[in-house]
Amino acid sequence: MKLLIVEDEQALRSSLVGYLRHDGYVCETADDYAQAHAKIKLYQYDCVLVDLTLPDGNGLDLVRTLKADNSRSGVLIISARASLDDKVLGLELGADDYLVKPFHLAELNARLKAIIRRRQFQGQHHLLFRDLSVFPEQALVLVRDEPLTLTRKEYDLLLFLLANPNRVLTKESIAEHLWGDDADTADSFDFIYTHLKNLRKKLQEKGVDNYIRTIYGMGYKLSTE
Amino acid sequence: MKLLATTNRYYLLLATLVFAVGSVILYYGIGWALRVEVDEQLVNNKTLLLSRIRHTNRLPANSLGNELAVTPGPLPTQLRDTVFFDPVERGQVPYRQLSFPAEAQGTRQWITLRKSLLETEDMLGVVLTVMLAVLSLLLLSLVLLNQWLAQWVWQPFQLTLKGLRSYDLQRQQPLVLAATTNIDEFTELNQALSQMSERLTADYQSLKDFTENAAHETQTPLAIMRAKLEQLLQADELRPATAQLVGDLYGATVRLSRLHQALTLLSKIENRQFPDAVPLALDKVVENKLHLLQDFVDDKQLRVERVVAGQPLLRMHPALAESMVGNLLQNAIKHNQRGGLLTWTLTHDYLAISNTGPVLAGEPNRFFERFRKLNVTSDSPGLGLSIVEQICRYYGYTVSYSFRPANALHTLRVQFQAKPQG
Repeated sequence: MKLLIVEDEQALRSSLVGYLRHDGYVCETADDYAQAHAKIKLYQYDCVLVDLTLPDGNGLDLVRTLKADNSRSGVLIISARASLDDKVLGLELGADDYLVKPFHLAELNARLKAIIRRRQFQGQHHLLFRDLSVFPEQALVLVRDEPLTLTRKEYDLLLFLLANPNRVLTKESIAEHLWGDDADTADSFDFIYTHLKNLRKKLQEKGVDNYIRTIYGMGYKLSTE
Repeated sequence: MKLLATTNRYYLLLATLVFAVGSVILYYGIGWALRVEVDEQLVNNKTLLLSRIRHTNRLPANSLGNELAVTPGPLPTQLRDTVFFDPVERGQVPYRQLSFPAEAQGTRQWITLRKSLLETEDMLGVVLTVMLAVLSLLLLSLVLLNQWLAQWVWQPFQLTLKGLRSYDLQRQQPLVLAATTNIDEFTELNQALSQMSERLTADYQSLKDFTENAAHETQTPLAIMRAKLEQLLQADELRPATAQLVGDLYGATVRLSRLHQALTLLSKIENRQFPDAVPLALDKVVENKLHLLQDFVDDKQLRVERVVAGQPLLRMHPALAESMVGNLLQNAIKHNQRGGLLTWTLTHDYLAISNTGPVLAGEPNRFFERFRKLNVTSDSPGLGLSIVEQICRYYGYTVSYSFRPANALHTLRVQFQAKPQG
């Protein structure tokens, strides 16, 4: 999987590269519009991550270029501009998703995976993790070929964990993934704990144990061991 | 009162005063002039008569009318006023008379010459009538002239006023005013107004840019902090104590960016950067938001009651409507008791959202202040109700808090139109 990360902020760029390389992506970077434009004209990427405010241009023009060239790359906009108009415009131009800065890297990773899954496999794809297989299009979860019944939130939670295996997911990123801006309506951390407890119990009943680990003080982790 | 009506009023007042004084002066002036003329004629006639008597040595006979009388008595010799009955006029007629002695053929008689003042009074009447007619004609034409001026000379002013009325800063259209008019003052006014609107547009734009840039510039370092902390969390060699520290730091950056988002929203509302209002059905907005918050409602085992008695005709920006409803609902869920009640009532002129909960200490009006928190240890920045109030103010609604001790029900009510008085 080859990615192009267009981001003018060096510190953020290096974090993105570091996080995503860990997942096996080949990451190329561009720190301004001209460089990014040259790269998307020359090479083919599976997904392009575009920051909108670049020192020498507007990231939206890169999206336009990609669409004009009928590129097969997915496009994920990462921007500090949170207004509805920018979001609508970005998606109308053909971007696959729009993520507002600051974001959780785990969230970015999950969205990136969803984009690539949709693009590369036209939906005919399932996720495998140890004894679990998940068919996202049918919202179906199998444990050793036996279906597992989950609530909506438990399913979303499992999918988020599966997108970031072997990574510590902070309570904050889980809360925002599940409830978005409404995450601070209640003590959502207790809430996550309840949902996780139920999810673990259901997995345990199917005979798979110790998949989800609690990392004290930080969050949770889907463990391969 | 209109400018022209005001000037006209003073104009007319002054003109009437001047005309009144003028008429009095004219009346007495002409009267005096005519009387002097009559006196002069009487004295002339006396000289003429005396010289004729000296020539003919005969006294004249009494004339047919009252013009000339010859009497024996001694009479006072100065000019006098007198009144005679005139059978033709059927009334007393004023006369001016002059008596003097005359001698002829040895007899001394007193001759009295008289002249009627009736003709002079008639003449005075005619003169005054003509004068008054001319003056009122002048006054009338002045009023008409002013009306014409109002229509034609003030026309550029009316156009300027029309242009100003239809001007809206947020539409970012330039203020279009005629660059030159036939009146210098109006041209200057238009130029000054155009310059002012350009300045306003520039200020508005820079304020808008500032808000956007501030948001961008603060979110970027926050994004870096968060990304670095998240990377740090993945490091295997973290000791539990360090991990706890990094976890807390991470939580703090999340709170900070939430706070920042709320403040940016508040300042955007204050800068009136949500001009696009669309008609919307508020009950749908509430239903959707409640659906999104269902997890939290279920978690607290809240009983939700809805009363929709009417649908207000609202025009709002969808994001603001959602934010207002969302904050009210979040507030009602957050401060609710486990197993409590959440009611929402919608009528054509208000939306009320109530929740059960213990009596609150403190001034109800201060609940809408920024950073006002019921529970000081809460993670929430305490901006929810400020945002609601700001949105209400933006659209001219009013939001109020009330508490009913009977069933421990706290109610926040958004009134869309001003309550009818009394």
